Amino acid sequence: MKFASRTVTKIWEEVPAAHNPFLADRCRCHGYDLAELAKKRNFVDVLYLLFRGELPSPAQAQMLETLMICLINPGPRHPATRAAMNAGVGKTNAVHILPIALSVLGGAHLGGEEVEAGIRFIRRHQHAEAAVVAKKLLASRENSEGDCHIAPGFGSRFGEIDPVPQQMAALLYELSGRGKALQWGRDFAHSLIKEGMGWLATGVAASVFCDLGFLPQAGAGLFQLFCAPGLLAHGLELASPYTSITAMPFLDEEHYVIAQEAKKRTC
Amino acid sequence: MSLPRKQKKEPADLAFWQERHGVICSRKGGWVVGEAVYSHGYSLLDELVGKASFFQVLILNVTGRLVERNVADWLENIFVCLSWPDARIWCNQIGSLGGTMRTSPVAAVCSGVLAADSPMYGAAPLLAASQFIADALLKKNNGMTVSEIVKLQQRRPGMPPNIVGYARPVATGDERIPAMKQVSKQLGYTPGEHLTLAFEIEEYLLEYFNESMNIGGYVAGFLSDQKFNPQEIYRMCSMVVNSGVHACYVESMDNPPESFFPLRCDDIDYQGPRPRQVPFP
Repeated sequence: MKFASRTVTKIWEEVPAAHNPFLADRCRCHGYDLAELAKKRNFVDVLYLLFRGELPSPAQAQMLETLMICLINPGPRHPATRAAMNAGVGKTNAVHILPIALSVLGGAHLGGEEVEAGIRFIRRHQHAEAAVVAKKLLASRENSEGDCHIAPGFGSRFGEIDPVPQQMAALLYELSGRGKALQWGRDFAHSLIKEGMGWLATGVAASVFCDLGFLPQAGAGLFQLFCAPGLLAHGLELASPYTSITAMPFLDEEHYVIAQEAKKRTC
Repeated sequence: MSLPRKQKKEPADLAFWQERHGVICSRKGGWVVGEAVYSHGYSLLDELVGKASFFQVLILNVTGRLVERNVADWLENIFVCLSWPDARIWCNQIGSLGGTMRTSPVAAVCSGVLAADSPMYGAAPLLAASQFIADALLKKNNGMTVSEIVKLQQRRPGMPPNIVGYARPVATGDERIPAMKQVSKQLGYTPGEHLTLAFEIEEYLLEYFNESMNIGGYVAGFLSDQKFNPQEIYRMCSMVVNSGVHACYVESMDNPPESFFPLRCDDIDYQGPRPRQVPFP
């Protein structure tokens, strides 16, 4: 196996300072000077540029920014947010709150891994009729406890269709930048209604990422990134020195039930 | 014309969620204040502390089974075997980078351990390697030959097969296997049916593709012989690289900030677009 002599990047160019090659005099993102970008473009444009290599059209930028707002906070009941809150209330070093919460948000259930799988799923099926794909998947569904994700990004939450992702998808669908993946996802979600399933937030994100040309792996991390503000805000709210460790419930023994077999040897 | 009646929405069946609402039920154990900390039927402080090794308790918490000491000692030696204080290795270098940027040891070590959750190295390949050897043994017991098992892993005839547990990214051969064979011998183990098959596959791969078993393949075979399933093997080895990451973190933490392997601008080979003017939106 032959390793590279230097790390290659097509993203970022650092022009060395004349007097010190360890310092950069200026930085360019895909050829654009960073300071010039800061003067002329907004954050979403530069974010898109960073990952896609070109600046977005106004319609693409609007899609991305709308998705970012939709995903900005998974809410205080989401397990990733609760991880941030547990860290906060336990007075974990504040710099750890976000990595902790993002690890939980990386999972295959309503997390980054599901977004990645969702992009692959939509890419693979968007040329087939959504209703036919849905019918086939529903026919092969296996009964299991809890929620069913019939495909990555689509399914039930707490036994029903989760209203908020449907609202997100409808909002994004009204935008001029909507693409084939969002359209296909809408048809697919519609085919699941009778089964009590629909869009999940991960599916909405996956379809927009697909339409904007992001690779599946990028979708996983971008989903984490876009949800990060809410996770951090909730964690910090409880990390405040004015908030005590008692600010979140700690279950009493009546509500922490240990199965008999876990205690049997000494009972 | 009469419009169809609006259908009354059926209330969702929330029994599954309601049963779990406001309560945590555990089959693993927990703390009963003033009584004991229970783990899988044992009192942690009365029956395990001072009597069981850390690795016995780790296996107990992962699998629910308190194994014999020699199984735990064998697992401990795998952790030793992967404790390389070499800052070139990807996960370890993350520990070094954390140290040089003055993170806490916990942040650096967790980040390094997370990096080793890779299909290329660390703990994650153990899942695929264990699944492979379990599946291969089933095939062998159903009459398949080693050659036929290997051929199933080839994308095209003549191409080297892609089998997790064989070949390595940096070197050929694996010096950790003889070390662990010695440990196995000292602890009184002889290869069981999984490990025996793993060696038979290696023999075939060496003859036809010059590829040998790596430590992941050995661990998968050995632990499968000890009746652990693939998920259990992956879970109990989650932290397997942690000690090497620690070493690398400590060394860079004990040196001036950002002094670990600093890069000059020209150490990065930029191959993107030439400088261009930013258009207004």
